[in-house]
Amino acid sequence: MDFGLIAQYVANGILLGTMYALVAVGFTLFFGVLDVIKFSHGDVLMLGTFIGFTAWLGLEAIGVSNPWLQLLGILLCSLGATALIGAAIAKWLVLPLKNAPQLNTLLITLTLGTAIREAVRLFYPNGSNPKAFPALLPDAAIEIGNFSLRADSVILVLAGLGLIGLLNLVINRTRLGLAIRAVAQDEETARIMGINYTLVVLATFALGSGVAAFAGVMNGLYYNEINFGMGLILGLIGFSAAIVGGLGNLYGAILGGFLFAGLQTVGAALLPFASAYKDVFAFAVVIALMAWKPTGLIPERSSDRV
Amino acid sequence: MTDLSLNSTDRPRPWRTGAIVILAAGVYGWALIMAEETWQVLGLLVLALVAVLIGFKTGQVKQVHQAWAGSEPRLNRLAFATLIALILALSQEHFALLMVTTVLLYFVAAMGLNIQFGFAGMVNFAGAAFFGAGAYTAAVLGNVTAFPPLLTLVAGGLVALVLSIPLLVPIVRTTGHYAAVVTIAFGVLFRTFLEVNEILGGPQGLMVAPMRLFGWDFNNSPVIAGFEMSFYANYALLAAVLAALVFTLLRRLERSWIGLHMDAVRLDETAAACFGISIKRTKITAFLMGNLILGVSGALYGMMISFIAPASFAFSDSLLMVSIVLLGGLGSPWGAAVAATIVILLPEKLQLLQEYRFLLFSVLVILVLLFRPDGLLPRQLRNFFASRRAGK
Amino acid sequence: MRNKFHGIVLAASACAGLALASGAQAETTVHLGFLGPLTGGNSSVGLGGRNSAELAIKLRNADPDTKYTYELDALDDECKPNVGVQVATKLATNRKIAGAVTHYCSAVAMGTVDVYHRFGMPATIWGAVLPDITYGNDYPEITRVNGTMINQNETAAKVMTGLGYKSFAIVHDTTDYGKGHFNYLSKYLAENGAEVVGAFGVTSDQQDFTAELTQIKALAPEVVVYAGLTPGGVRVRQQMDKLGIQAVFEGVSGIKSDAFFEGLGAELAEGTLTFLEGAPAEKLPGGAYFLSEYEKAGFSTPPEAYGPFAFAAMDLLIDAVEAVGPDRKAIVEYMGKVEGHDSITGPISFDDHGQNTVALITGYVAQDGKWVVWDDSDYAKGTRKLPAAK
Repeated sequence: MDFGLIAQYVANGILLGTMYALVAVGFTLFFGVLDVIKFSHGDVLMLGTFIGFTAWLGLEAIGVSNPWLQLLGILLCSLGATALIGAAIAKWLVLPLKNAPQLNTLLITLTLGTAIREAVRLFYPNGSNPKAFPALLPDAAIEIGNFSLRADSVILVLAGLGLIGLLNLVINRTRLGLAIRAVAQDEETARIMGINYTLVVLATFALGSGVAAFAGVMNGLYYNEINFGMGLILGLIGFSAAIVGGLGNLYGAILGGFLFAGLQTVGAALLPFASAYKDVFAFAVVIALMAWKPTGLIPERSSDRV
Repeated sequence: MTDLSLNSTDRPRPWRTGAIVILAAGVYGWALIMAEETWQVLGLLVLALVAVLIGFKTGQVKQVHQAWAGSEPRLNRLAFATLIALILALSQEHFALLMVTTVLLYFVAAMGLNIQFGFAGMVNFAGAAFFGAGAYTAAVLGNVTAFPPLLTLVAGGLVALVLSIPLLVPIVRTTGHYAAVVTIAFGVLFRTFLEVNEILGGPQGLMVAPMRLFGWDFNNSPVIAGFEMSFYANYALLAAVLAALVFTLLRRLERSWIGLHMDAVRLDETAAACFGISIKRTKITAFLMGNLILGVSGALYGMMISFIAPASFAFSDSLLMVSIVLLGGLGSPWGAAVAATIVILLPEKLQLLQEYRFLLFSVLVILVLLFRPDGLLPRQLRNFFASRRAGK
Repeated sequence: MRNKFHGIVLAASACAGLALASGAQAETTVHLGFLGPLTGGNSSVGLGGRNSAELAIKLRNADPDTKYTYELDALDDECKPNVGVQVATKLATNRKIAGAVTHYCSAVAMGTVDVYHRFGMPATIWGAVLPDITYGNDYPEITRVNGTMINQNETAAKVMTGLGYKSFAIVHDTTDYGKGHFNYLSKYLAENGAEVVGAFGVTSDQQDFTAELTQIKALAPEVVVYAGLTPGGVRVRQQMDKLGIQAVFEGVSGIKSDAFFEGLGAELAEGTLTFLEGAPAEKLPGGAYFLSEYEKAGFSTPPEAYGPFAFAAMDLLIDAVEAVGPDRKAIVEYMGKVEGHDSITGPISFDDHGQNTVALITGYVAQDGKWVVWDDSDYAKGTRKLPAAK
């Protein structure tokens, strides 16, 4: 295999990894504050992307044609709306079930995911067909042999990594982040210290959902296609990535995301038989990893309170 | 205590309430299955809702519970008889019987999952994969004519069992969401593998040979006293027997030491370990037993449906099974029966609403979870001494 | 109090029974079935088919000369074989249903033909193209108005090699549909002296094809073929552009839908080739009639590629009922003798397997955001050039 091909695979893997990591970060944030898995994450992401797409249609209609302005509009609408939706889900569906078994939260969010997916398919105009997401980023490309690196891919990866870095700063350097970490460590103590628990939970869900919406828009910009089913598989992979990395830990989510992308790419590039087996390979390795490290690669720092 | 000895002729016979509910459920089931117009289905649903609400208001629901606590074996036998009567009453309706059998087999599968979810507190999001393993076994063995078909059911269970062995290590070591991801990964892996694999029919799927019992081809319509019954009646009856067997097994298990161990492990692993319960062994038992049951029901399902494909055993189908378990109430077999009926029959009946049925259905599940988080028929406390409860 | 409750429960059950009894009434209405994917990724084609079948029924009901009133019972097979078998059983066991127009997805049709045969219900396929659906059995109940993928790929291989293309890379989904296309296309390409330099099986709902396409890029074929349905076709074409692959993009009949342009935009879709059995609807007098009536009926979704076939199949079924009455056996017999039957997709003649012998295959090319018949296109005239054209 020549150098160009390998470089191409690496570039593909990094792009996928950034996307997966952005989704996984949400799972890990929610788990941190509430110990719940919000499985509608992927479909919320899809909804956010559709909102962004609608915003773009609106901007086109009123005659804004500068791609950067359009991009700004898409991101503002998409991230803002998705953050609100995430908070709303937390308030009306997740928090009321706080004392029910964990499984119920899992199931209610899973079903919510189906409801969102179906609603978009049925009520978005012509929602059952894939939509062409605009290519707004410059598509200049550098070709080195078999390796072609496009400017839009580079921008997407940098923006994605930048967002994760920003999130890290928010969690570790701001008062909100401090509150989130406090709630994650011990809810009761945090409440006693005067932290508005509900507000922190809502903020976390807004934050995580917003980041996922960014992954969705990124997905749209890269593949130039969005469809009502895109959230399901992204959510599934993001969840696996968060778990493999270790829940409740940003670095774990990032590690998991890149690991999963790496496995898929390696599976597709190196398996001698059909590349269709790449997901079989990736998920088999996930199972093996779970047997080896039952609480993820970067385990939660907590002990059972007996 | 004194009122126990009072004139016994006046004392309520609690099992009667239970019996009436069972018979009414039978008639209702028949009506729901036969209803074809949307207004009929909706009317029946409203009827059920009103009946349940009235039951709660007048305190009848409590009485039904008491009736069950007091004379469970008798009522269970009656329920089985009602089920058989229902199948015979529908014996000429192919499609109705297909639905009844599907509900029964999902009920059986949900009972298998209940051992894992409800008793041992283990999550399994690959229910459809083990169910599918059974169905694929039936498909492969069906081509081997020498293989006795009744054994195929057993073989289906065994294959599901063998497939769960590689998962034992990660399943036992992980808990909660981490265990969820192991089974989710396995479910996706199973389906993708079947899809890309040429030998087992690929995405196109496989034909499954029909069940043969004592030289009797199940796809022939039985003729009894000049009446030609649907061949699905064969499967429905067999599924009913299977459901009864698994139901008995589950009840026995619940009352046994193994069941107690499972409950202990679910409620508190650390405490259970302190009392000398082997967590590992208990979890492995629950996981294997549940998957065995899933495999057996899957094998019969494959034979009945006569055509299987990987798409039938996807992640969403696993979710369907989990929703049956949760909707019914964790660890509650009767709840699973009611939930299986709702989850399988309702979308089928609401097909009249066509495209909107998934949306309606998922909204319904959300509402139930919000307002009745313990499920429709929550599991009751163990009742080792039935007769003592009946009084007060 | 308890007695009151018992009374309520029993009365309620009795009501339920009565409600049902009133539902069954006698009529001269004939029920006809339709099966297709009404939900899921392929629902656009399924809905187009359903609308077209519905249109056929509407037009007939409006015609004063018809003997019966027709009613459509459309059910959703979700493109899943297990669901398909379930709904097919539902239709076939319903004594009111005289016959049905069934299935777009080949995998589903393969599973359900046995059901139709077992219950003796006439079923006419309107969209599934796998040859085995009609040729894999001897069931008189099964007929098909559209062609199989054999003819399609034979023509495709001839046309493409005729244009001078010699090296092909094929990406196919691993359903029977994709694999079938792959097998027949590679067979006919080999017969025409072209080479398949690489073949990649992908899952039908795969999002990312960069891994496969990166390998294809290294192989540098002249033509990249995607054998699958619209959603996958859109993605492969999209990602070819991302990786800078300069090759002709060719699809199969499964990508000929308006959704293809909606997903890709006119610019990227430009120059995509595909092949579809039958003459283009626009070119037949009946087809123009169909399209204008479809427009008039005000459906919210387009008929898509197989709408005319669904219309023709339903029309044929109604003709059968008109001729021999709503009796399944008689309809099956009638179908066995269909020869040169007039339809909007051209004359229908069933061979002894119930397969309509559609010899005609039409090539299409994407031009300015529309599917244009190859022979009429600017590409055939030479005013535009496909990439890497010889």
